[in-house]
Amino acid sequence: MTPTRIAVGALLLLSALPAQSTGTEDLVLRVKPSELNLTLGATETLRTEVVDVGGRPAKGEVLFFSLDRRGVSVDKSGKVTALRTGSFRVIARLVGAANGSRVVIPVRVVHAKPAAIVLRSAPQRVFADTIVELDAAIIGEDGRTRPDLTVDFRSSDPKIVEIDDLRRIVARSAGTCAIIASGSGLEQRHQLVVVANPVRTLTVTPNVKQARTGDVVHFAVATADSAGKRIDDVPVQLAVQAKPTDHRGPGASGQIEPDGRFVAETPGVYTVIAACGKLAASATVRITPRNVQQQLVKVGHGEVFHVHTSDLWVWEGVDGRDYAVTGTWGADGEAYFWDVTDPRRIERIATVKVDARTVNDVKVSKDGRICVISREGASNRKNGIIVLDVSNPRSPKMLSKFTDNLTGGVHNLFIDSGFVYALSAGRRYDVIDIHDPSAPVRVSNFELKSPGHAIHDVWIANGIAFSSNWRDGIQLVDVGNGIRGGSPQKPVQFASYAYPSGWNHAAFPFRSATTKRFYVIAGDEAFPYGLSIENRPTYPRGWFHFIDFTDLDKPREVARYEVPEAGTHNLWVEGDVLYAAYYNAGVRVVDISGELLGDLYRQGREIAWFLPTHHKAKVPNAPMTWGPQPHKGRIFFSDWNSGLWCVELAPQRGRRR
Amino acid sequence: MSRTAWAACLALVAGVQGQVADSKPVGAAAEPRRAYSVLVCAESSDEVYKLRFDGAQVAVEKVIPVGYQATEIEGPHGITVAPDGKHWFLSMAHGKPFGLLYRFRSSDDRVTGRVQLGLFPATMQISRATGLLYCVNFDLHGDMTPSSVSIVDPVEMAEVGRTRTGSMPHGSRLSPDGKRHYSCSMMDGFLHEIDAVSFERTRRLPLGDGTGAAKSAHGGGDGADDRCRPTWVQPHPRLTRAYVCLNGIAQLAEVDLAGWKVTRRWPTGKGPYNVDVTPRGDKAVVTYKGAQAVGIWDLTRGKELARVPTTRPVPHGVAVSDDGRFAFVSCESIGAQPGTVDVLDLRVGHRVASVAVGLQAGGIAFVGSRPLR
Repeated sequence: MTPTRIAVGALLLLSALPAQSTGTEDLVLRVKPSELNLTLGATETLRTEVVDVGGRPAKGEVLFFSLDRRGVSVDKSGKVTALRTGSFRVIARLVGAANGSRVVIPVRVVHAKPAAIVLRSAPQRVFADTIVELDAAIIGEDGRTRPDLTVDFRSSDPKIVEIDDLRRIVARSAGTCAIIASGSGLEQRHQLVVVANPVRTLTVTPNVKQARTGDVVHFAVATADSAGKRIDDVPVQLAVQAKPTDHRGPGASGQIEPDGRFVAETPGVYTVIAACGKLAASATVRITPRNVQQQLVKVGHGEVFHVHTSDLWVWEGVDGRDYAVTGTWGADGEAYFWDVTDPRRIERIATVKVDARTVNDVKVSKDGRICVISREGASNRKNGIIVLDVSNPRSPKMLSKFTDNLTGGVHNLFIDSGFVYALSAGRRYDVIDIHDPSAPVRVSNFELKSPGHAIHDVWIANGIAFSSNWRDGIQLVDVGNGIRGGSPQKPVQFASYAYPSGWNHAAFPFRSATTKRFYVIAGDEAFPYGLSIENRPTYPRGWFHFIDFTDLDKPREVARYEVPEAGTHNLWVEGDVLYAAYYNAGVRVVDISGELLGDLYRQGREIAWFLPTHHKAKVPNAPMTWGPQPHKGRIFFSDWNSGLWCVELAPQRGRRR
Repeated sequence: MSRTAWAACLALVAGVQGQVADSKPVGAAAEPRRAYSVLVCAESSDEVYKLRFDGAQVAVEKVIPVGYQATEIEGPHGITVAPDGKHWFLSMAHGKPFGLLYRFRSSDDRVTGRVQLGLFPATMQISRATGLLYCVNFDLHGDMTPSSVSIVDPVEMAEVGRTRTGSMPHGSRLSPDGKRHYSCSMMDGFLHEIDAVSFERTRRLPLGDGTGAAKSAHGGGDGADDRCRPTWVQPHPRLTRAYVCLNGIAQLAEVDLAGWKVTRRWPTGKGPYNVDVTPRGDKAVVTYKGAQAVGIWDLTRGKELARVPTTRPVPHGVAVSDDGRFAFVSCESIGAQPGTVDVLDLRVGHRVASVAVGLQAGGIAFVGSRPLR
């Protein structure tokens, strides 16, 4: 909207006058009407009057503006247009004085009058002894839905159909009746036929008799008529009865999905009950402990206590030895290189210092020759990436800087097949060709179009870029896989999944070795209680979301791994094992084999955990695990407070959880 | 917060150590001494420092942590004080992705409101004529497309208008009567004028000296110049003139706002970045970002009176005191080295005090002064 003034008097010329000598301090602005009530889409013009202290008309310039431009607009003549329903405010202000007269005009915008009831979900035919949901809405004279109005339902013959308290059809017996939808003085009738329920046989059968906690059991439901003919379109309800082995104060311990998938969190005996009309059937399975628990033991520690540590990368160097690189956060722009060939004696072998405050991400090419590090907080604000030759990690050599269009800071990056995927200012990622690492060239970028879009991370696997985009969730982009004809030069987005919290911070894809289903794990990042840079521990929150992308067009969030009272960060999957950096809950190893459903933590799928602490750490004795990476049978991880660690799995000792 | 404690210790050390080695004492003052108050942003440590200068020593009074994203550097960049002094306002460059404008109550430095603006909201000022705040959306990063000036009602903390200007607008300043807003677009080399009442852009002036490319690669259109890189504009407090830092060609340009033309150009130190003018309008103080120095200029004669080295690299912002006696200069520094605020005595042309603050000291605002008892 165009703001606005009424030139009631002559404009003051820009001059040598002191700013406060505008002469309008004693003028009063009056606006009529003092409030507006408008129907959506309507307009009305405000009238103004400027008077002096004696109430005499005076000259003055008036500025109008709306405090909610999406709700109401106002132009320079004071014409107000209602754009949305609700309560809004328009301001009229006398121009010229620091404390000039200011009038608030409340504007209430209401919907158009109700015009019709529309049934959005109402079947023509239902089976007796079944329950069906109803949905209807009231439409205004302007054709818009009236979400503020409700629709009530009643049945013309309650012996045939009842409407329950949840506004559902409860079909009692065969026959014909009307469903009457009413509200706001309107009424709509809907004819409904209830046919006799033909089902005479109902069975429920599990695919296994015994399973472990966390295993998904499939219960198949079959319905047939009196002739034994299969019937598929009659609704069947499923419920579960649990008898946990540990019955001392048990919580909810199992869940059954409408499609018959069942999973238990605790060992015991579970009976699934199917109901269809007046028929019921049941089947029982035994659930045993998963028994996957081991322990993580420390192998080595590369201490970094003077600054915060960020991401890591571990690789086998061209000389056959094993190396790691770690970044630093909120410090002096350093990246540290480590020899981890003997992880019991992790040795810091080199430091690269660049103009930055944070080197958040570090990655190394598959051939072990090129390392790319990100920059944030550069003194010249150019940031970007630094390309290093790490053929000899004891003496990394800078090959190039690339800052073009990356000046906002690169928070994360990935190297794949001679291209760097580098985030730019948290808005998009740029694809940079580093086949000649001394002369990087940007070849494309990928950016969402949604309003206020942002991005946090990108990971490449099999020619697909998996980016984490906060409230826009996970985005899958073809950058060479071929599934949608994409390439590094022409990224093509083809699938996505977002969840309501908007905390999507990391993503890692994997195809289940046991089920061949294709999942992407989406990690949260959230600090509801803030971040403590020094002295005190931090208490993040969040969990890992398991999205089943087997059907790319219909991704489903099927499971979660959530450690209570802790927060997720980065992750890695190798085989059917999840390695999770869980900030204040340290590093976690999780069994993600088989089909996934429900709360994996509560199902006893956690194999092991390790809390990295050190009394000399940047924040003493406070785990804040940043990122894990399995390498040659061991698990390396970086910890924000204490540096680089190596742990390994070992048989569990002592008491099980 | 722990960062605060760290910064306070740092400040204490700096304060105890007192003046940097080459600072020179202020000469005998004829008038009563005053206490001056200044706010400065530490852009890479998400803090605002409240400083107090008594004419001889400058010290950190308070460190105020700012921002909401725990692990991200959000970058407090622009800072300004309301004309009545009851609130101060802070722009935070990075959000998700849009930046925020915060309002703080001056009495206790607590947040009392915030509103989301555009990409990288930066410098700003409140108009005495309209009571509204005008903040450039610097949009520093990525493709250099035209950005905008956000117009905010600081009472309700609502964005009430947004006016498109040029690429990377910076240096948001108002005419003395508050009716015209000026900003520079760095990447296409224009000075933009906005009618503060109608919110419409009324004029734009190419600022190049003819040595830059005739056409900008950044879509600025006719007259665009991709070399001069204007970073700041400061209207004269009494005359219809403004002074513009041309960062890319090391010039301070004087613009006749009535005739809408550049009238004079003066060569400066490398990378002139910010400029402030004394209340009387006789002097300008210019930070030279690339020269680790500050220039003090006689605006009547168009002569640089003094060039004062700064204590740290990358001098950034400058704010002149209400009595025109002192200039407060923020120095960003590099990496983990804390920034500083240097105090210059404009009468003698020397630095008289300095204090360490947080990382990448940038936006700076003069709050006020009062007599010392």
